[in-house]
Amino acid sequence: MAELFIELFSEEIPARLQIDARQKIKQLVEERFNKRSIKFKSSQSFSTPKRLVFVIDGMPEKIEEKEKILKGPKLESPQVALDGFMKSNNLSKSEIYKKKIDKGDFYFAKTKAKVINVSKELELIIPEILKNYSWKKSMKWGDYDLSWGRPLKSIVVLFNSKIVNFNFYHLKSNNLIFIGDLDDAKPKKINNFNSYLKIIESQNIILNHKKRKDMILKKMDRICDNKKLIKNFNNILLEEVVNLVERPNVIIGKFDSIYLKIPQEILIITMQKHQKYFPLFDDKKKLTNLFLVVANLPDQKGYIKTGNQRVVEARLSDAKFFWEKNKTQSLIKQVSKLKNLTFFNQLGTFYEKTQRLRKLAKITSEQLYLSNEKVEIASSVCKADLVSDLVSEYPELQGIMGKYFAQEQGFDEDVCNAIKDHYLPVGIDSEVPKKKLGSAVALIDKIDTLVGFFGINEKPTSSKDPFALRRTSLGILRIIIETKLSIKLKDLINYSIVLYEEQNIKFVNNSITKEILVFLRERFKNLLKDKKIRGDIIDAADSSNIESDFLELYNKCIIINKSISNDLYKNIISSYKRASNIIDQELKIKETKIMGLPEPILFKSEEEKNLYAKINEIRKYFSSVKKQEVYADTLNKLSETKFVTDNFFDNVIVNDKNPDIKRNRLELLQMFCKTYNNFIDFSKIEGV
Amino acid sequence: MCNFTTIRYRSGCWNFSSSYNFTISRTQTWKAAYVQPSRRPTDGRYGKNPNRLQHYYQFQVIIKPSPDEIKKVFLKSLSVIGINHKEHDIRFVEDDWESPTLGAAGLGWEVWCDGMEITQFTYFQQMTGIECKPVSVEITYGLERICMFTQEKNNVFDLQWNNEGIKYRDIFYQAEKEYSAYNFEFANTEYLLKNFEIAEAECKSLLKKKISLPAYDQCLKASHIFNLLDARGMIGVAQRTEYISRIRELAKGSGQCWLENQK
Repeated sequence: MAELFIELFSEEIPARLQIDARQKIKQLVEERFNKRSIKFKSSQSFSTPKRLVFVIDGMPEKIEEKEKILKGPKLESPQVALDGFMKSNNLSKSEIYKKKIDKGDFYFAKTKAKVINVSKELELIIPEILKNYSWKKSMKWGDYDLSWGRPLKSIVVLFNSKIVNFNFYHLKSNNLIFIGDLDDAKPKKINNFNSYLKIIESQNIILNHKKRKDMILKKMDRICDNKKLIKNFNNILLEEVVNLVERPNVIIGKFDSIYLKIPQEILIITMQKHQKYFPLFDDKKKLTNLFLVVANLPDQKGYIKTGNQRVVEARLSDAKFFWEKNKTQSLIKQVSKLKNLTFFNQLGTFYEKTQRLRKLAKITSEQLYLSNEKVEIASSVCKADLVSDLVSEYPELQGIMGKYFAQEQGFDEDVCNAIKDHYLPVGIDSEVPKKKLGSAVALIDKIDTLVGFFGINEKPTSSKDPFALRRTSLGILRIIIETKLSIKLKDLINYSIVLYEEQNIKFVNNSITKEILVFLRERFKNLLKDKKIRGDIIDAADSSNIESDFLELYNKCIIINKSISNDLYKNIISSYKRASNIIDQELKIKETKIMGLPEPILFKSEEEKNLYAKINEIRKYFSSVKKQEVYADTLNKLSETKFVTDNFFDNVIVNDKNPDIKRNRLELLQMFCKTYNNFIDFSKIEGV
Repeated sequence: MCNFTTIRYRSGCWNFSSSYNFTISRTQTWKAAYVQPSRRPTDGRYGKNPNRLQHYYQFQVIIKPSPDEIKKVFLKSLSVIGINHKEHDIRFVEDDWESPTLGAAGLGWEVWCDGMEITQFTYFQQMTGIECKPVSVEITYGLERICMFTQEKNNVFDLQWNNEGIKYRDIFYQAEKEYSAYNFEFANTEYLLKNFEIAEAECKSLLKKKISLPAYDQCLKASHIFNLLDARGMIGVAQRTEYISRIRELAKGSGQCWLENQK
């Protein structure tokens, strides 16, 4: 049994590229071996920023290949097909023969039984695998043609302790590894994984990323235990840091506690995002002035600790300077500074935007039964933090800083939260505003943006969406659905257009409302798909008359999707389909318009009159419930008609000899369908 | 290769010699090193921050093609001036940049020393949509920050400028204060907006006349004005995208025009 060892040594590969390469190249090796019937007992991969290592153990040195009969292309196929067949199976002309089978005349080949030397085979396989791996992002260097994650310096490939010889672009496989960064470390010769590990471990390099993670975690835990701090570390950062070091060393650092007076989001972003430190919290979950650095070597002279402390203090002193300056600047006064901040060239400044938002706030608060005053205040000042130094320094803290400034200046707590939350949701996984006030401001801000960009025809195309209008639209829908806002978007959009016009902002698009509603509907359909709503129900929602109340549409889809296999629902759909099938058949025979307006005088039977009465009862129900509609009740109501409709279908023949009566019965059925369609377009839903 | 500093609009070495940069893109080999004063208006702190400045010095090294041992040479260069990688935590942190509209891209790292960014290390991959071959490497040392390590100072203004007792503060403190005030408070934004338009128009008109290098000067000017407008808080998020793409257009036009004139 033999071992295959591969080390790909390069300059520092970024963490996420490294992780992908580590997993995918191993997978490629396994796939290739399986395809080639090369057995192996185990396969492992490891990485550090500079090393990608693969170890495949328990491999045979030789494999016996039995004689095989291979079927090739048809005789009349072009020469290329035959050439391809020969090439891919490594055949010579003398091995090819022709044979007639059921399907016609074909080329065949018989391969001889042979013994394959795995080492020789690897000389072909390994460079192909390396060539086949496609990096998520790769680069070139020098004057070479090779493309790799970062400059590849050497390739070690050993099988059974011997070099597997091949050329890969300008590099040649060998058995030498590099340890140090400077000339002080000569390349060292290795024989196998064991001797490799011995050398690099003697240099304190931890090859195994899992082991590195454990080591780092253990050290961090120990420090936290000693200082009674919470052992809860950002996992994404941890994964990254593990793959940024070869010789992990955890150092605890400290900054002046005076900086703890700054809002903690600033401190956390500075440490976590800018410096890749782990901020530490005490047992009451309060942020402390301690942090952990994962360094790449022991801190012999203490330089690393003091250096990192100096860096973070410089950054925090910057933040503190701005915090103290910004927090006292009145948000209301800052609003006028927004006159200098362009929202978008043809769409005016942020000042003009907030003026529009204030007016939108009015009709929104009415529709949502919110305090008009609060929505107005929140929408007036929600952008004021954009002109603060802190937000230009930490753009990701827009809104969050606004909230802090507002709190410092004694604004109402709901208003403070709305300032912070009005940017939500920021992504697919992001939450939506928690409170209705925040949702309202978030909604009108997004509507205003959408209307503006559609107005000047800066609409997303299939490939480009530079102003993230898709995300904005999805945000609108998620806010409506998740915070249950019953709101007529159409009114809001129309009013938003008027507000732009009042500011003399010129729009070139004449059908903004229609286009935005179509655009929103597309996003809405995707959203339903993600919620695993049946396709036909989505179609039914899409073709319903409900133009812009997405909460209503959404809730209807959910309830139908849930109850579609219930008897209750089956009753509705069977009545509906019986009626619509008769109409459809009639429409197939001749082109006519059935409006759904029967004449009661033409009714002959009791069943017709009963059905008519029932339909009117349902119509009355629809017009009386309106906003208070409980969809489960509606479905009950619709399903209750089954007795009446069954009676009608069992006893009345629509196809009466008298064309007027027949016509009137079709009108009655159409009236029935149309009434049901008030709920959702049932014609799109497949039968049960 | 044309001036990367315009594309990396924030790194602001706006007075970079343009013919020099364009020339590199045509030669097969090139080695150069020089000190480059740089401006980044938004980084001004009125002289109050220990390591942030709106005007500072970079030591630029450009080598084409990038040598195999360049990382080793770089680490050696640090250790020669007293930053030993066995005592200091030298880290190569991913820092790629890409500008799709210009078709320009570079891959590499920012180099951290004990958590402080001291150098940018970039392999240039693409310029004006054309793949760079050979690839050049650009190493940009941040001189003040490196000196803070070698002179063991916590504040940039305490650095010794020479052996005659002159400190960094003596030369640059007042400038930092005044320029910060100008950048953030007093630069006349109306003039700046006008000047941006003028520089842009001039660049475009020169490009129509197939004059590439003076056009590129105007592009750099526009880029610097943009940085100042940014410092004055005049540019919103959506607007930023638009300004950047306008500057890219100018840079791309100048680069292409220069190439055509070479033929």
